[in-house]
Amino acid sequence: MRIPLVTVASLAIIWPWLSTVSFAQQSNPAGSASPPAQGEASPNDLDGRKMFSSNCGFCHQDGGRHAGRGPKLSKSERSDEFMIERIKKGKTGSMPAYGDVFSDAQIGALLAYIRGLDD
Amino acid sequence: MTFHERYAVGCAAVAVAALVTVSPTRAQAPTQPQEAALNAEAAQNDWPTYHGTYKSYHYSGLDQINTGNVKNLEVAWMHFPERATRGIQSTPLALDGVLYYSGSYSRIWALDGATGKTIWSYTPELDEDLVSKQTHSPYNRGIAIGHGNLYVGTVDGRLIALDLKTGKPVWDTKLLDSKKMTVGFTGAPLVVKDKVIIGAQGGEWPHRGPIFGVEGKTGAKKWEFLTVAGTEEAMKTWGGDSWRTGGGGGWMPGTYDPESNTVWWGTANPAPLYDWGGPDWKKSGPRPGENLYTTSVIALDPDTGKLKFYHQELPHDAWDFDSSVGEFVMIERGGKKLVVHANKSGYIFVYDRSNAKIENVWPLVKNINFVKSIDPKTGELIGRRDLTEGKVDPPLCPAIAGGISWNSGAYSPKNGLFYRIGQEWCMELTVEKTTPVLEPMAQLNLGATFKFIPPPDGPARGHLSARDPVTGAKKWEVNYKYPPLASVLATAGNLVFVPDAEGVVHAYNADTGEELWSRNNGMGHNAGIISYMAGGKQYIAVPAGWGSLVADEFVALYGEPFKSMSKNTGALVVFALRQ
Repeated sequence: MRIPLVTVASLAIIWPWLSTVSFAQQSNPAGSASPPAQGEASPNDLDGRKMFSSNCGFCHQDGGRHAGRGPKLSKSERSDEFMIERIKKGKTGSMPAYGDVFSDAQIGALLAYIRGLDD
Repeated sequence: MTFHERYAVGCAAVAVAALVTVSPTRAQAPTQPQEAALNAEAAQNDWPTYHGTYKSYHYSGLDQINTGNVKNLEVAWMHFPERATRGIQSTPLALDGVLYYSGSYSRIWALDGATGKTIWSYTPELDEDLVSKQTHSPYNRGIAIGHGNLYVGTVDGRLIALDLKTGKPVWDTKLLDSKKMTVGFTGAPLVVKDKVIIGAQGGEWPHRGPIFGVEGKTGAKKWEFLTVAGTEEAMKTWGGDSWRTGGGGGWMPGTYDPESNTVWWGTANPAPLYDWGGPDWKKSGPRPGENLYTTSVIALDPDTGKLKFYHQELPHDAWDFDSSVGEFVMIERGGKKLVVHANKSGYIFVYDRSNAKIENVWPLVKNINFVKSIDPKTGELIGRRDLTEGKVDPPLCPAIAGGISWNSGAYSPKNGLFYRIGQEWCMELTVEKTTPVLEPMAQLNLGATFKFIPPPDGPARGHLSARDPVTGAKKWEVNYKYPPLASVLATAGNLVFVPDAEGVVHAYNADTGEELWSRNNGMGHNAGIISYMAGGKQYIAVPAGWGSLVADEFVALYGEPFKSMSKNTGALVVFALRQ
């Protein structure tokens, strides 16, 4: 069964950006006067494409359209349940487990990105 | 004779028998390498440290096996490690006829160097939950010996000392909060005087790539050098709070120059790997500035961990071309003491050993376009391509796996040639403007998607070339359809050994490149090859076992034989001359 994209989008909206905000408020111990670098980028915690670029593109090449260290993901025949389970639990020696890192909403955003990939 | 008298005589007889059966060598077996052996140009009977000796030649002075008889080389014995996830990636050590090596999950074996018989083994208990979250895991790339101990790092952030004779733990020191930082240790430690030095993983994570100095006898941490913004000077090279994006792990072992009491170490790239700051990188992007001391070679005082001097090979590295890869080859030329260091970008840097001033820079590989060139007199990057958001055109060369990978080359002091594997490949790249990852967490921080492609001048491939280490002048070259990813060994028998990606170990004439012998080990090589003596006989030991992160790229690039090659297995294969 596939998760409807609408559900994913709804989950995306409610995701708070707390961790980034809290770090943005910490001061630089060196006392630099330049503006914080993270202010230049928009939050992307629920942007599946950007999340994929940061974390998954290391192994799944061309944004998931091509095999690399990991398999090609576009047009995958694996079920949503399988994909979510694999993202959460990983595979020893092949893929890290992201279950404690990403929220369900973030994993949903990643899945939505993967399902939307063309070849 | 009373019972007690008979008992006493019996005990004496047993004692005499014991003295007879334990050879004098074994009874006085050294439990640490001699200083002279560590400082020598050639590893002789032993292979006492990761790079062979502190000179880092990966060169054995043994010549029982030579160009005249290498055709008679055959398997002497093998050892199969349990749980070889991602193959075997380590370089064995040998001391007094005993071979020591590590496997995945930092498992250790001490084996009789002549027979392969197990003397002891050790399996650390690791945080398996943490291991499952790591990308660069659970492989281990090597060990160190000193102070009567064997040292190994773990992916959950510990440095462990084992009694060299028994394998029993002596101490176990937690150096990194790996649960928080994700990263741990995969590289070999380096013993320097009373210290054990080890660098953390990490170019892709928000941590500060520390290098640690630990007291060998006690396990007490004596110093920690932060490769990311570790000094006031360095902090100024990271705009705003961008130092929090981190990177800079010293994930491969450096070496030691006893003449100046200096440890040389290489550091990884900063995170994110691909920066969208473009030509304005000094002021914009996720990490504005030079980002010291990432992608640098640094010289540390081993007693204090203080920085003595450095050279940043790639200021503001925007291409993931670490200085962590590459041995530090210490040679003398024209009265000058030099260090030769290979950078992942495919360039070889030659330094003055006293201050890391550039003596020369030369390219090992043909397909390089991240810069137009590097000034051979100053090391300045000329015509650098600083990337901006979107598709990178033309594709970037070399690819993320580098023009040079992390395993080592070799240098022969006999003929003055430097033997190094180069890789020719490029990649299509799209840079994404992502939010910098500032909080330590189990996330990579790449900032791009990419796809490996062949270079403009032909297929993706590899080569071994024999060159002058200072000028780069090429004497001979051997080409490979698939880039070999293991270390190279040179010997006084005038041989160069290359374990390749398909599983074949080759022996070449060191002067001409003529292939004199080969043997198929049945699976690709990702590890370090060494030579040592046991019972008066020379052995060549090479771990076979495929599955490093670079090796994983080969399936998409080449298909077979890598598609069908077993990944999570391995064997230590030891060769000797047929009797």
